[in-house]
Amino acid sequence: MSTLFPTRETTADPRTDADWTGRRAFETNLRALVGRAYPRVRGMGREPSWVFFEILLPFLGTSAFVLVYRALQAPEAYVGFVVLGGAMSAFWLNVVWMMAGQLYWEKSQGNLELYFAAPMSLMAVLLGMAVGGLIMSGTRSLAILLISMAVFGVQFHLTDWALAVPVFLLTMSALYGLGMMLASLFLLWGREAFHLTNLAIEPVYFISGLNFPVARLGALGAVAIATVPFAVGLDAMRQLAFPGMPGLAGTPPPQIEALILVVMTVVFLVASQRLIRIIERMARSRGSLSIRWQ
Amino acid sequence: MTAPAPAASGHPAFDGNGFDPARAEGAGLADTRRHLWTAIRLGWQVESNWTDPLLFFIYTVAKPVASLLLLVFMVQIVGGTGAAGEAIRTFVVLGSALWAMLMAGIAGPAWSVLDDRERYRMLKYLYVSPATFLLVLVGRGVSKLAVGAMGTIVALLFAVVVLGLRVDLAAVNWPMLALTLLLGLPPILALGVGLAAICLQTRQESWSYPEAFAGALFLVSGVVFPLSILPAPVQVIGLINPVTWWVAGVRGAILPSGSSSIGGAGSLWASVTRTLVPDGATTIAVLLLTGTVSTLAAIVLFRVSERRARERGLLDLTTGS
Repeated sequence: MSTLFPTRETTADPRTDADWTGRRAFETNLRALVGRAYPRVRGMGREPSWVFFEILLPFLGTSAFVLVYRALQAPEAYVGFVVLGGAMSAFWLNVVWMMAGQLYWEKSQGNLELYFAAPMSLMAVLLGMAVGGLIMSGTRSLAILLISMAVFGVQFHLTDWALAVPVFLLTMSALYGLGMMLASLFLLWGREAFHLTNLAIEPVYFISGLNFPVARLGALGAVAIATVPFAVGLDAMRQLAFPGMPGLAGTPPPQIEALILVVMTVVFLVASQRLIRIIERMARSRGSLSIRWQ
Repeated sequence: MTAPAPAASGHPAFDGNGFDPARAEGAGLADTRRHLWTAIRLGWQVESNWTDPLLFFIYTVAKPVASLLLLVFMVQIVGGTGAAGEAIRTFVVLGSALWAMLMAGIAGPAWSVLDDRERYRMLKYLYVSPATFLLVLVGRGVSKLAVGAMGTIVALLFAVVVLGLRVDLAAVNWPMLALTLLLGLPPILALGVGLAAICLQTRQESWSYPEAFAGALFLVSGVVFPLSILPAPVQVIGLINPVTWWVAGVRGAILPSGSSSIGGAGSLWASVTRTLVPDGATTIAVLLLTGTVSTLAAIVLFRVSERRARERGLLDLTTGS
């Protein structure tokens, strides 16, 4: 306990004591971030069923789409598209289930009041959720990729690593930034959160071209590229993993898509910071926002 | 000094010796029916009373329609044109539309365990209510199944109106459709109850488990491609799975001249039975058999899980991640 919560020297004057230095605030927020990421990472080891339900079964789900293409005798590259889509979908599922809906779940569980009362930034909590979620989903995503490569013989022709790594990281930043923003919105929307979470899965899969190149959707695909980080990130990763594939023509090159992701990241993070301040203010003034079942 | 005689309650069951064991055991079928109906109504209220009907309808149908479009585009993009393409598209559309209902029925009981334990913290109160817990879960599953059925109907209408799916209503085998739908409901709910039994044991919030399970079932049920393209051992899993027979039966009833997901040249079914595809009667019979076995297995699994949950205090154990 003493390591996690070190005792601090207090002064006789509470006002001086409450006036935190920047370093103290940073350390506290960092501890909050690590503390929020901890149950997600640690929980992976404590719940063995996770491996079966979060890795093996989603792989089988992805396999179903692979077999649809095989049954249709589609070009082999389409199998690769499905596998990459299946691997990336782990992150999207994590964003909608464990980021966007999370503050609402926390409210239902009665934890949200504690978050508001604790001397830390809620952004640190959201970032902690994102980091923990990223590690969870990264494991699942990697497992789906590796198993698919072994079972279906999918080959990725990734040559431009210098671009692929930043594109992947930018995709994650934009996705989890969106998740942080949605977390505040979903909290405001109350019970709709659960249904919005559900709504954000298949429809987003479709407009993002989960199992086919998004360019084939025409104008709808263009709108998705401009607004949905999952769509633009997935398309950029596909272009880098399968360079020169004719099916992928019709969308901006990965360099431009990387720039779109940068803009999305900035917009989502700024918006999430603003929104979190608004809900924090509402929680204090209304008094009902953080109370269970309100 | 003798104790005063208890005052008469006015109820024949309590007057006399003061306790009637029959009352604690319930009034048999009438009570069961009442409990089930209450659980269905509760489920429906939980699902729908938070918003206005239009918004609820949009949420209900957006998911199945998007799933349908995802698959239809896959077929379209890889050149599913002409008569063969049309046949594949019809096969995929029907399977995908049915999946909405199936998914809801499978996820319903599991999500009700998670909702009531993790979010509303009502599971222990439901558990000690006069209705048996299994009945509560089945009721919640039925209401979810009804919501899923709405999605299926809308997805089918969308397919007919927008995607040009051609269904000849005069050719539909209505008795077989009704019988298959009816016989398929218990095993679908049984799968949901089995999954709920698993979710009772998992310590973390298992919201994504039903979806993951359904995704895996999607692979072995012949929903969007025939079982024959799977390796033989996986075909066995498909053939002992009641969902496969339910989907095949409904599809066969709606499109009697369409392709079957079971059998076909080189399939395990064909090599074992020496028939190319199962006929309607066989489909119904196997659905009944596999459905009965899986329902009994789900009940056993649920009872084991329920006992373990009680012993280990899992009914009101909330987690968080």
